Amino acid sequence: MTATSRDEIYTKLNAYIQEQFLDDSEISELKPDTPLLEWGVLNSMNTSILLTYIRTELGVTIPPTHITGRHFYSVETITDMVYELSLQPA
Amino acid sequence: MSCPSSLPDPLGPATVQPEAPNSTSSPNRPEVESVVDAEFDIGIIGGGPAGSTAASYLAKAGLSVVLFEGDTFPRDHVGESLVPATTPVLLEIGAMDKIEAANFPKKFGAAWTSAEDRNIDHNGFRGLTHDFRAAEILFSERDQEGVDRDYTFHVDRSKFDAILLKHAEELGAKIFQGVRVSNVDFSGENPVIQAKVGSHQVDFPVRMVVDASGRQTKLGNQLKFKIPDPVFNQYAVHTWFDGLDRKALAVNKDQADYIFIHFLPVSDTWVWQIPITETITSIGVVSQKSRFQQYAGDREKYFWDTVASRPELMDVLKNADQVKGFKTEGDYSYGMSQVAGDKFVLIGDAARFVDPIFSSGVSVALNSARIASADIIAAAEAGDFKKERFATYEKKLRRGVSNWYEFISIYYRLNILFTAFVQDDRYRLDVLKMLQGDVYDDEEPKALAAMRDIVKAVEEDPTHLWHPYLGDLKAPSAKPSF
Repeated sequence: MTATSRDEIYTKLNAYIQEQFLDDSEISELKPDTPLLEWGVLNSMNTSILLTYIRTELGVTIPPTHITGRHFYSVETITDMVYELSLQPA
Repeated sequence: MSCPSSLPDPLGPATVQPEAPNSTSSPNRPEVESVVDAEFDIGIIGGGPAGSTAASYLAKAGLSVVLFEGDTFPRDHVGESLVPATTPVLLEIGAMDKIEAANFPKKFGAAWTSAEDRNIDHNGFRGLTHDFRAAEILFSERDQEGVDRDYTFHVDRSKFDAILLKHAEELGAKIFQGVRVSNVDFSGENPVIQAKVGSHQVDFPVRMVVDASGRQTKLGNQLKFKIPDPVFNQYAVHTWFDGLDRKALAVNKDQADYIFIHFLPVSDTWVWQIPITETITSIGVVSQKSRFQQYAGDREKYFWDTVASRPELMDVLKNADQVKGFKTEGDYSYGMSQVAGDKFVLIGDAARFVDPIFSSGVSVALNSARIASADIIAAAEAGDFKKERFATYEKKLRRGVSNWYEFISIYYRLNILFTAFVQDDRYRLDVLKMLQGDVYDDEEPKALAAMRDIVKAVEEDPTHLWHPYLGDLKAPSAKPSF
């Protein structure tokens, strides 16, 4: 696949999370370091939706070992993970 | 001729129901003696779906078959939802038209609901897309060999089992109802089935024995083959409700006649919802036996307390009428160190029972009868009923059941994973294949290996987002030896 830039990944993820998980909530703006798990934006169920989005729209399959609190801490950490994985041969 | 949908006396007068020969002058005596004098090739213990299916295959093949059923049909039985792997068997033995004519509710698919969506809604976030609030599958999504229709059935087992038993009788099997087998004597040249006819014991010498005694596990107990399962120790309490709103918890209202598996926010606990007629619905609570034991045998309190953990389900049940008493199923899961030997095989629940979560019971009964019958017919042709003759059966049964076992283990260990896999186009058909009951002919499905890796990763990493969702039932890392 053609490498997607880190910024592009960030923009897409940010938009998706905002739209899918924040629409009706009081959290108005998602920052790069907003603690998604701590604030309840992501939980284990909607994380699996996000995984599907990353796989189908960004073409990156997250190995099950990466579905951890460290990797899913914020949009920034998710972006780093997806970007690094996208550079590895499939 | 087709069977009517209501069968007050489904077996009709043709069934032989011997009574105790009180004296040599008893009028029943000649009948019993003439039967005893007859030589039977195959003796079958149990007239449930496994026994009657085996009887049908074997009688069709020209073998003389005698079958002993301890109860008098019709009788109630748990295990009301079928999977499509039953279809090729019902077609092969020629019983499908009779099953269709009975107008059982058609089952096009299965759906699983969880309590998760409520929590998410309460947090004020937009709910999940419906596909993640509940998992659903439609059987027609995957073609299955020998399956010629998109649906299977939910059945009232008192009727279903009676139709199959009568069918076996029409194919030439000699059926005894209300006759219990007390023992099988393997000490002589031929096995001798010792049946209790009234207060007397009557011996039936046969060339080989098929144990289809269900969860009574007649030969498994007698020959000490039975091994309790080290992991699963579940307990079920079940009953029927009239007027239950099946749509209430369905995300897609068109699917109200699917089987529903409702997960409760209690560890390893779920509820089945199975349509029996237009208005009757079977409901069962399955949980760890240790939880049930805390209720000191109070089934009613246990049932309602457990259901109350899912308030929306509680509402649905409270607004329906319970039309049967609560029944229980305990001593849940077991295997056998041997499922075949010289002059015998074990089939259906008599060979193995794991857990009802994927509606596998009747399918295992019918398919184990099918596979075993092929070996038995070949053995009869060869005139040799030694253990080696049943190697194909043993291999296929163990392979199928071992796949089921691991699938079920993983499901209990991390059921969120099941939801994820059903949604994942890489694995969906593979999971569906197992849910269709199509497990006997191939090596391990790839979804199982992938699921196993994920469970391992989640178990080993406490920061894994799915770690809190691990159930309490932990399967051993090695496959069970039975």
